Amino acid sequence: MENLLNFFIEIGKLKGKKRRGWILRGIKDPETIASHTFRMAIIAWLLGEKKKLNINKILKMSLIHDLCEIYAGDTTPYDEFRPKEKKQWKEILKKWPRLSRGEKEKIFLEKYKKENEALEKLIFKLPSSLKKEIRSLWADYEKGLTREGRFVRQVDRVENLLQALEYWKNDKPFAIGPWWVQIEELVDDPVLLEFIKTLDKKFHQK
Amino acid sequence: MAEEKKFYLTEQGLEKIKKEYQDLKNLKLFKTRGEIPKIWQSEDLNPEYLSFQEDLSFLETRIVELENILKHAELITAPPKEKQDIVNLGAQVIVEVDGQTDEFTIVGTLEANPSLGKISNESPVGRTLLGHRVGEEVIVSSPIQTVYKIKKIKYSFS
Repeated sequence: MENLLNFFIEIGKLKGKKRRGWILRGIKDPETIASHTFRMAIIAWLLGEKKKLNINKILKMSLIHDLCEIYAGDTTPYDEFRPKEKKQWKEILKKWPRLSRGEKEKIFLEKYKKENEALEKLIFKLPSSLKKEIRSLWADYEKGLTREGRFVRQVDRVENLLQALEYWKNDKPFAIGPWWVQIEELVDDPVLLEFIKTLDKKFHQK
Repeated sequence: MAEEKKFYLTEQGLEKIKKEYQDLKNLKLFKTRGEIPKIWQSEDLNPEYLSFQEDLSFLETRIVELENILKHAELITAPPKEKQDIVNLGAQVIVEVDGQTDEFTIVGTLEANPSLGKISNESPVGRTLLGHRVGEEVIVSSPIQTVYKIKKIKYSFS
């Protein structure tokens, strides 16, 4: 029991960790990693029902997908650029970052390794069966090994788009273009593509 | 209901599906006999198999799904030389977007991994690029219009 309690205390830290992407864009009091997870899990569940996916697996996968960020931190697609001045950040954030195939592979592998180590550290004292399950769900999510893994990974981006649109809709504090560019490359699920059209209608069309 | 769609796979991807199908069929055999296969003791268990531990119906659903994929699988091969200047499945495409260069490989949905530059042929960008040649510009329209200029197309398998 004590090991479980310690695990719950550790993951509770995500309730206070603000997502870096919003901090970089100057959003005041932005959402935390846990609040992103909360809505993402519900989206994955409700839209996953339409696809007759394994909802038990989808929910667990959504809940654990960002746990590694307790130790690995929250990364953004812009991390490679690391400008020193605030002004430069503003310019960089106007466009979706483009990388060569080699750079993408390198970043993917480095991120995977770092997050995998963080996850191992976090689940180290959990019972073996739970450890195995969390490890497998996370690998599935990261690599998109199954229908559920590919779906949840895309839902992660869709929830992020919804949050971006909510922050953006009032006073347009940042460029929304990169989110749309990214989503058109990442999402191929028909249910999510239909949902994205609904987002477009709601936030961009009268 | 099983989908009547084609599943485009590279040779490697197809082999992976065949292996999973065989593994799961063996697993089902074990489970219906009430035995616990050794695979559960393995630390590097295939994540797909884990949810089947609890529920035989999910295992059966997945086996049917794999059968459907195998039945409708279409191997991605390089097009004839005279058509290698057109974006098709399996093409590595170098594009210019918004003044920057990017590189994609167009694959089927089962093998897509945008973090590694593998874009699904069913994504809006993948779909739009298909059938276009070097030098052409394609526009992907979401609320934001994005122009992809095709700089180079390459097929690196036989």
